[in-house]
Order: sequence, then structure tokens, then C-alpha cells
Amino acid sequence: MTVSPIRQPIVDAEDQAPPRASDARPAPARPRVRKPAKWGWVVYVALILLAIVYIFPFLVNIATSFKTEPEAAANPLSLVPATWTAAAYERLFLNSDFPLWFKNSIVVTVLVTFGRVFFDLLAGYALARLRFRGRSVVFAALIAVMAVPGVVLLIPKFLVINQLGIYDSYFGMVIPLLADAAGVFIMKNFFESIPVSVEEQAKVDGAGTFRTFWSIVLPMSVPAVMTIVILSFQGSWNELSHFIVSTQDPALTTLTKGVAQLSSGQLSAGTQYPLKLAAAAIMTIPVAIVFFIFQKRIMNATAGAVKE
Amino acid sequence: MTRTRTLRMATGAAAAVGALALSACGSGFSSPATSGSAEATGSGPISVLIGSSGEAETTAVKSAVADWSKTSGTQASVTVASDMVQQLSQGFASGKPADVFYVSTDQFAGFAANGSLEPYGDSLANKDDFYPGLAKAFSKDGKLYCAPKDFSTLSLVINTDKWTAAGLGDADIPTTWDGLSAAAKKLTDGPTTGLAFSPEIARVGAFFPQAGGSFVSEDGTKATINSPENVKALGFVKSLLTDGSAKYSSDLGAGWGGEAFGKGLSAMTIEGNWIGGALSKDYPDVKYRTVELPAGPKGKGTLQFTNCWGIATDSKNKPAAKKLVEQLTSTQSQIGFAKAFGVMPSVQSAAAEFKSEFPAQAASLAGAEYAQTLPSQPGAADVIKDLNAKLATLKSSDPKTILDAVQTEMTAVLAK
Amino acid sequence: MTMAPQLLTRRRSGIHGRQNATGWLFIAPVVIILGLFLALPVAMAAWVSVSDWTGRGSPFSGTTNFVGTENYSAILSGGGLAERDFGTALRNNFYYVILTVPLQTALSLLLAVLVNRRILKGRGFFRTAFYFPSVTSSVAITVLWLFLFSASGVVNKLLALVGVAGPNWFQDPNGVLHLLAGSLGITTPPAALAGTSFLGVSWWDWLSGPSVAMSAFILMAVFTTSGTFMLLFIAALQNLQGELQEAAMLDGATGWQRFLYVTLPMLRPTLFTVITLGLIGTWQVFDQIYTGTQGGPAKTTLTPAYLSFSTAFNNQQWGQGAAIGFLLFAIIIFFAIIQRLILRERTTVPRRKRFNPPPPQGGTK
Repeated sequence: MTVSPIRQPIVDAEDQAPPRASDARPAPARPRVRKPAKWGWVVYVALILLAIVYIFPFLVNIATSFKTEPEAAANPLSLVPATWTAAAYERLFLNSDFPLWFKNSIVVTVLVTFGRVFFDLLAGYALARLRFRGRSVVFAALIAVMAVPGVVLLIPKFLVINQLGIYDSYFGMVIPLLADAAGVFIMKNFFESIPVSVEEQAKVDGAGTFRTFWSIVLPMSVPAVMTIVILSFQGSWNELSHFIVSTQDPALTTLTKGVAQLSSGQLSAGTQYPLKLAAAAIMTIPVAIVFFIFQKRIMNATAGAVKE
Repeated sequence: MTRTRTLRMATGAAAAVGALALSACGSGFSSPATSGSAEATGSGPISVLIGSSGEAETTAVKSAVADWSKTSGTQASVTVASDMVQQLSQGFASGKPADVFYVSTDQFAGFAANGSLEPYGDSLANKDDFYPGLAKAFSKDGKLYCAPKDFSTLSLVINTDKWTAAGLGDADIPTTWDGLSAAAKKLTDGPTTGLAFSPEIARVGAFFPQAGGSFVSEDGTKATINSPENVKALGFVKSLLTDGSAKYSSDLGAGWGGEAFGKGLSAMTIEGNWIGGALSKDYPDVKYRTVELPAGPKGKGTLQFTNCWGIATDSKNKPAAKKLVEQLTSTQSQIGFAKAFGVMPSVQSAAAEFKSEFPAQAASLAGAEYAQTLPSQPGAADVIKDLNAKLATLKSSDPKTILDAVQTEMTAVLAK
Repeated sequence: MTMAPQLLTRRRSGIHGRQNATGWLFIAPVVIILGLFLALPVAMAAWVSVSDWTGRGSPFSGTTNFVGTENYSAILSGGGLAERDFGTALRNNFYYVILTVPLQTALSLLLAVLVNRRILKGRGFFRTAFYFPSVTSSVAITVLWLFLFSASGVVNKLLALVGVAGPNWFQDPNGVLHLLAGSLGITTPPAALAGTSFLGVSWWDWLSGPSVAMSAFILMAVFTTSGTFMLLFIAALQNLQGELQEAAMLDGATGWQRFLYVTLPMLRPTLFTVITLGLIGTWQVFDQIYTGTQGGPAKTTLTPAYLSFSTAFNNQQWGQGAAIGFLLFAIIIFFAIIQRLILRERTTVPRRKRFNPPPPQGGTK
């Protein structure tokens, strides 16, 4: 799902925990001290149960990908296969186009991420700092554009991509994904949070607009750039509908489209669960890695960015 | 700098961008190539798109195309579609379709109507060799649009091990509805269901002609879906489902009837010729035999399926595509396909050889005499899809209500 | 000294001019791409939806004709399959929306409240666990869900442990409300409801509730989005003034009362955001349907987004497909506005009573 940030500087929510009022005031009446302890225990149990519900499906996913087909059908609950087999992975990597899908996903994701960072930086800076004619119109247009639901654009994007002649090519897959209003807003908010004095200083020293941008502002924008990198990596890696309408050549299939076809199309004649789950598992790994490394940043960025 | 001026400038800029884009580099929508230029020169590799029934078919087609490629010198590649209709439509709309592809009877009308198909059939060398019924299914306005590639009929496939284990013998092979009912009941035992089939009209519809009903009238102008005969047929299917001796393959967790049969989830299934290839490739240990479907109150009946090799009007190398089709519909090629995945040749000259080489398929061949095809008028495919959707709740619905609703839709479609 | 003002003026206009050019240069790529791939498609689709383009050649060529609202009327009142499919898709998606949005909002709020407790150990672990599903691709989760909810899958085995025979989830087209009615003895639809219809679907069928298959999708939606919204609520909760909570505690409010009368009202903006995002997201569900059931069983997981795609790409009726897309757009806007009206801040007495920041000297009223 897409996240649409409005206007909010990236704030590390954890660091802004409100001051403990209880430090300054006397503790409330006695009975209330006992209650938190008892409720705390219940809360803990509830949280653990919920966490199990959230984690269990992924454990099943991994476990099943190492089972044989009959065992997967007969014994879906067990998290440890009776006979470990990597047959599903073998088939996936040796007997199918899976490596090709993986490569396509990587190519597209890398290109889109670079492109987005570049364009969003420029556009965000322009909206935040530069005064140019028509700025407010562009700003309003960006907001309007974010209101258009993505799915409504399925058919029309196909028509436009075709008309422009970039259908069924990497161009058609990458270029439309390059601009996202959300990223522009994140950048804009970030630049607005940088004190103007820094740039004023540069201007007084005689630096032009571009120079100011390049050597002063850009190095300071690493945190926001990281955020865009993460969000666009996640967004383009998990994108499906755009790839359905912009390509038809099997050589351009990405992971999402390939696994969707594996699951739903004629290629899936037969319920080969270990195979499909192995594909789903591998497809999730890169995003999972990025997620675990940048957890804190991702979670703060999402929270800060989507608030109104 | 007033707001209106800003606004005007911005809209001006946007309009300029838009106009530039529209007239821009390479319009992806090439003007549709006029048909009838099949004799024009063409060059370049050709692509073949197939909707395979399994690995057996894929391998067979790929090797046949590769052989042709070697001898003709034109590169040809085969792609297996995961969603045939969508990929064809997308290809036509974008002007970059595959050169040669399967076209089924229900999709034919639509594609022929909007000019996506090249009517090359009349210029084929073996044009008169095709069965007339098949050729008619792929003709429009008197022109043969594409060459039928093969055909199959539905028959009853029986797991011989389970058959004998249930104490049944040759005499119990069902030849009537009652016989089928009894056999299915006897074979339903524990985890095994007596009869399984895919939840679609392409299987359930075989009972309609057995009861004497049809989908449309002989001349194709009137819908006859809710005739009392069809209601009877659907009622019979419902009774099999409700007493548990028959189940939909989806309810058994299988993707199609052949998978349920191959995995031993059912003792019998109603499938077409292609099950032969699928079983030998994926479930080689299952011993089975094929018999004609039992006769209903009004006699024998079954469904027939056929596809043709379509050539796209927008293909860049039509001469090569035509030569490929000629090769693939030759007697030798078709017998090869028959060996690989069990379909029946669409050319009459191969009939004798087929009969002698595949005695086990006698039932399917016999079915060709009295088979019916699903309606193929434009829009009929959607009605069939809707009927399939309604079949999902057959167990708890009234057959007459279902068929009445579909009758209305079909009438509307035929009226267009 | 007299030079300075002149120099400054010159430099200012110089900067302005350069800023103008630079500004447009910087913003140009984004504007062009958004214009080409968001604005232009909408315009093109608008044209296709009022034309009879058959899917070959350019939609702007001479062979495509303007047909006015023919496509729209075929979907909204044609009396045929198109209308019935649209009505079915609307019904399916409607139940999906009204079940998913409250569930995911409530669940994410609950998770946020639980995880936000200051004395909690391992808060980071729990946050990660709950947020992880939101990071994965909908395709991967759908494939996983198809396995978990298969006839003899994990969910049914778990249900069997408590003695409940689970349905064949993704193959079961029966509506939940119909099943409920059946268990209460109502197996045939009352004549009044079965006879009349709206958009081609009888009122009895409108009241069928989500099908069992759709319910599995609803659970999946709640599973994958509750993490994202949980983060929003956590951020909002942490921004709540601790002093207000303390003040309420001093006034003798219990935890529950504090939650209802202090916390919840102050979460209103976040609640609003979460619900809006939820509405927009649930009305557009497509990826999961495409990967999982393609509208089946019995068209009970058909959604307008998938119908729009399928009408165009599978049935080659591009005009109708585009028309369905625009109708969906209108529906989303409509719901967003309704939601805004319902949840808007009322500038009357309650607000004054509710939110009164304490004056600097202390004291709370």
C-alpha cells in the first residue's frame, strides 16, 4: 500500500517521549501502584499471543518450502519438516525463470530508487527553497495527483505507455515509477526543516543557487535521502499492477509478476505449495533485510510522514 | 506576478508538455496493418504463444517448432501463457502480439471481429483436409481464418485399480446415468470420491446433450439454455453432488479434474484427451482406461474442444508464420502431438493412422460423432463464465433458477 | 556606500531570475513525469470511456467513435451481464471495506496502546513483529494465505483442534450473512428480497455479507495493514501531553475513563488519517485478487478494480473498463467526503469542554 505523507518533518518519535510528569509530582494514591503490575502481566501475555499470531505464518512459510509436496498437504501445521528437502528451491532456481525474475526486479528497483532520489531531491528543494513562478500551482497539482487512486490508472497508463512507444521495455517499467509525489513531499518537508541561515550564509559568500544546493544542502540531506531510498526500494520491489500493464515479454517479468503468475495462471496447474511458498519466501528476503537493518528509520519515517 | 498569470503560465506549460508527448517519438499504436497482405514480405524471428495443458504439451510444441526453425532458417520461440486471454488481448492492444498463437472457439469471434486475426486459412495447402465441423468453427463470412490444430472430446476416465478394488467389473462400466450414479457411489470410499470434475460448464455441460438439450439452437440465433432437458441434466449433476458420490475438483483441493484423478482423490473423472499426456508426465503410476461418457435419457452426448493456430494481423513475418502453421498441421506433426499429449488430429488424412496407433483412444474418437461445442458467438464466453460462477453453488441452488438467469443473458448476447 | 544598495538590487533580481530558471529546472522532471503518467492517462481514459475503441490501433484514430455515455449506462442500467458484474463487484468490495476498515483501525489502536506502555520490556521486538507483514509484498502474502486457508491447511487444522470444521475458505462462495440466516432456519430468500434488484443483483444477494472467500481476504488485509497504522497511533500517543493524563488521574479517572475521554478524542486527527487511508486502500484492492482468486469463487471476490482490469484486458471492452475505473474514482471520493463530514471537528460546546490546555500557572479547569 502506498503511504502519502503530507507535511511533517521526520521526527524520531522515540526521542520525543513526553517528560515523565510523575518525576515532578508525588506518586498518586497507594492502590494505583499495585494495579499497573497486575495489568502489566495480562498485557504481556496478550502481546506475546498476538506476536505469535503475526510471526507464525512466516515460520510456516519457511518450513513448508522445505517440505515435500505430500507432506505439505498432509501436515501443514508442523514447523519442522519430517524430511528436509530443497527440491522446491532447486526447481525454482534451476528449472524456472525465477533467477530472471529476480534480476529484473533488482534492475528495476535500483534504477527506480536512483531516479527517485535524484528527482525528488531536486523537486523537493525547489518547492521548499526556490522562488519560481507557478510554484504554488505545482504544489497544488502535486496534492491533487496524490488523491488519484492508483488502480484507476491501470488501463490509462497502459494506453499512454503504448502511445509513447516505451511499452514492453525497461523504460516503460522504470520511467513511470520515477516520480512520486510522496517522496517530493518528504524531501520538501525535510528541506524546510533545515535552518535557512546556512543557505543565507552561502549566498552572502557568493554561491549561486545550484552551488548552494550541491555543496551545502545536499550533504546535509543524507537522512532524508536514506528514507527515500528505503521507501522507494520497498515500493518498487513490491509493485505489481504497473508491471502487468507495462510489459508482456516474459524476459521482462519481475518477481511480483512471476510469482503472481505462478500462483494463479495456467503455470500453476497443480497445487505445488512448497514451490510457491519458496518463491514467496525468497521474494520477501531482500525487503526483510532492508527492513531489519533500517527498522528504526523506517518506522519513524512512516509514522512521521503519514500524519496530517 | 498575479495568480491568474501564474496559473495561465502553468497550464500553458502543461499543455505544451502534453501536446509534445502525444506527438512524440514513435507512436506505439501503429496503424493496424490491412489484412490481405499476407503475401507481403516479412522478416525476423517469430514468436509462438501457447496455452499449454501441461509439460507434455509444452515439450512437444517446443520441439516441433525448434525442428521447423532448423529447417526453415527462421528463428522461432515458444512462450507458454499463464493467462492466455489476457496476454493475447494485451498484445493486440499494444500492437505487439505474438505471431502465432492458440485461439479457442469462444475467443475466436471477438478477435476476428476487431481485426486482430489474419484470415490466412484459405491460402493453406491442406485447407480441404480439415474436418468440416472444425473448419466451420473458425470461419467467418465464408473465410477460414485459422487452421484448426487438433480437437478433443470429453470421456470418462476410470482408475482401473480402484475399479477392481471396489469389486466392479467390465459389465459395470456405466452406459447410462443410473449406471454412472451406481458406480460413483460404489467407488466413493473414505478419502476417495467416486467422480470428480472441474467446476465448469466445459465439463458439466457434457450432460446437456445426453439429456437432449443444447446451448443454442441449430442456427445459432436462439438461446436454449433453460430447456427442460438441460434442467434435467443439471438436476442429475446436482444429485451426484449432494449425495457425495461426485465432487468438484476444487473442493478436493486440486486444480483440475486430472490432478484430483492423478493424486488418487477420485476414482473417475470427466476429462478430455489431454489428460493422457498429463497423467503420463505427472502421475505415471496411475493405471487407467478411457470409456465413452454414459448415455442419458436421449442418448450419448459429449463436448468437443478445438483450438486453431491464429496468426496476428500485426505480425511482422506472416509468410514464415504461415509456413510454420502448415508444418504444425501436417499429418506427421499432428500424429506426433497425438503421441505426446493425446489430442486428436484435425486433418482427416490422419484419422486412419490415429485409429490404428491409439486404440485406447477409441472412446474419444467415437465421441467426435455426437459431440457438441460450446457456443462461440461474440459475448457467449462471458455468459459461459457467468454460468461457471453459478455452478459453484449448484449444491444449494435450484437448477431451473440458474438456467433461467443464464438464458436471459444468452438471449441478450445473441440479440446483439 | 552608495554602490551597495544598487549592487544589492541588481543581485536580488539576478538571483530571482536564476532562481526562477533553476526552480523550473529542478521541478521539471517530476512535473513532466507526473504529467505524462498521471494527468495524461486520466485524460486518455476519459476519452476511451466515452468511445467505442475496440483495442486495436490508436484510440485517437479515425475508426474510434464518440458514443457518449453508452459505456456508463451499460454498466449502471444496461440490464445485462455488465451491470450485474458491476453490482456484484460493488457489493463484494463494500463488505470488504466496512469490515476491514473498522477492524484494522481497532486492532492497530489496540496494538499501539499495548505496545506504548512505558514499562514494557522488548517494545522494539513487538513493534517489529507487528509491522513486518506490512513490509512484505501483497503477492507473497497472498500466496502464503492461499496455503494457510486451503481446505486442509493450517487454519482448518487449528480450527479442528477446537472441534470446528473449517470451510474450504477460498472455494466457498456462500455469503456469511446467508450462512447465518441458514443456521437460523431461513434457507429460502423472502420473496420481497429475491424479487427486486439493484444494479442487477437481487436485494437478497446484496444482504449476503462477504463470502467466506472474501472473509479470508479481509483477514489478510487486517493482518498486513494493522502494523502501519499501529505506528501512526504510537506516534500520536507519544505526543499526547503527559500532563493532561496526570491531571485526569488526579481527578480520579480510571484507566478506562482516561482512555475514553482524554486519549481517544485527542487521537481524532490520527484516527481520521487512518480511516481515510483505510478507505482509499480497501476500495482499490487488486493485487490480492489478481494473484489469488481472480474474482472467484462464483464472482464473490470480484472487485471494481479487478473488474475494470478484466473487462479491458480479458474481454477487450476498453471503454467499459475505463468507465468502471472512473466510477470507482467517484466512489472513493464520495466515501472520503462522507468520512470527513462524519468525523469533522465540531466547533461547538463539546470542543471547548474537551480540550482546554492548562494555563501556565497550573490548575486544570
